[in-house]
Amino acid sequence: MSRLRVLIASAAIMCVAGTFSCKVNLTPQSLAKAWKGIKDARKDLTPENEYYVGRSVGTNLLAKHDYRYLDGDALRAGQLEGVTAYVNRVGAVVSMAALATRRKGDRPSPIGGWHFVIVDDDTINAFAAPGGYVFVTKAAIMAAKSEDELAAILAHEVAHVVRGHALGTIKKSRWAGVAKSTLDATVELDEASLGKLTAVFENALDDMVDGLLVKGYSRKTEYEADRVGMDIMAHAGYDPSAFVRYLRTLAKTQHTGSGGFKATHPKSSDRIKKLEKKLAKMPKRRVPAIRVDRFVAATAPLRGGPASAGDELSAKQRR
Amino acid sequence: MAIKRAMLIPLAVAVAAMTWVGVVQSKPKLGQVVTVRVIRAKVMRAPRFIGPVAGNVSRGQQLTFKGAKGDWYQVTGRATGWIHRTNVMDKRVNLSSRPGGGTGGASRSEVELAGRGFTPQVESKYRNKHPNLDFSHVDAIEKTELDPADLESFVKQGGLSLGGTP
Repeated sequence: MSRLRVLIASAAIMCVAGTFSCKVNLTPQSLAKAWKGIKDARKDLTPENEYYVGRSVGTNLLAKHDYRYLDGDALRAGQLEGVTAYVNRVGAVVSMAALATRRKGDRPSPIGGWHFVIVDDDTINAFAAPGGYVFVTKAAIMAAKSEDELAAILAHEVAHVVRGHALGTIKKSRWAGVAKSTLDATVELDEASLGKLTAVFENALDDMVDGLLVKGYSRKTEYEADRVGMDIMAHAGYDPSAFVRYLRTLAKTQHTGSGGFKATHPKSSDRIKKLEKKLAKMPKRRVPAIRVDRFVAATAPLRGGPASAGDELSAKQRR
Repeated sequence: MAIKRAMLIPLAVAVAAMTWVGVVQSKPKLGQVVTVRVIRAKVMRAPRFIGPVAGNVSRGQQLTFKGAKGDWYQVTGRATGWIHRTNVMDKRVNLSSRPGGGTGGASRSEVELAGRGFTPQVESKYRNKHPNLDFSHVDAIEKTELDPADLESFVKQGGLSLGGTP
């Protein structure tokens, strides 16, 4: 069905419902549900479903990087230390802003919380799994010059999660083989139903990992993550123009090499053009020296420097 | 073209109405029980994300609603203070601490609320099919958390505003 026809059909439903809502017992909520059904044809995963998808996508993404990530000993003990602690602080501020700026249908509050991991990779890239797992490579952080630029990277990835972009890479056909009864009402799954669901799960994971690491999202999706990400970082108090500055740095390197963000994102120059239009309508801010200084200090170990004092948090392990 | 425009005007009105419905959400009644939906959450001393913590709660625990301020619910029970509304369900529900009810079956309440889809059972079967995948990494990463009091210092030191956060 073409977009125009969908719009016209929706309008017709709304008009009829608006006129006869009392007689046919249609409420604004049921209309919203009907609209959602029309707008979003793919199966809508619950936060619980998304949590399990995120765990498996995250594990697959780490496996593709041979489970190499920074501050691994601490993380494997359930603790945040070093550069990872700092990145999680910035990520937490960004994700709180995402919650405050949420729109209907957003997913800003994963049931497992937000987690930011630095992948030990010299290729500039960042990617996010559903359910609040954000991965950023060491090289991507080293290409940034301030905390505000780091916040831009993280806000772009948080925007992907909040808008459910990775879930959108699951092919609609994946659901065709799953009976509605399997998805809805049964408490205990029989072995055959479980087998079907697991096969769908497996294929959906392949779709997402392929989308995140190889094919990338559509240009439209990336531009949306840029727009939403810029709003999020600005709401957190960061300078949104840092987003453009970071993309300018990337633009200088995008013509060299292959893989990483070059393979999975639109040209940086195109992204800059779109963001500059948005930026022109936003209040101007400056990056205070403290956010440059503490970024340089916290990320020094990435450049072979010493860990800065005070960059470890009293992150706790809870079981 | 005239017909298309005519159809789009009521559509715009309807979408605006639904957006309003989505934004203006209902709140629980005073004294009503709400249920923690996230694996763990902080109950804060004040209605904000950062600062002193009044207590920790975990999925399935139930709190009593005492009032609201913006997106924050004032609650009593296992912890007394403020919890963000997105961390709870506005009703009494039996939820297990593990989403979906562990590797076995889920409770009927959970299935009714969350649907079936991808659950611990599915993950367990997937892991059996892929023994080379090491889930211990995400298991550990999930347990990390930040101290909201430390985060408050971080925000203040960096001159960050957190926008509309109370």
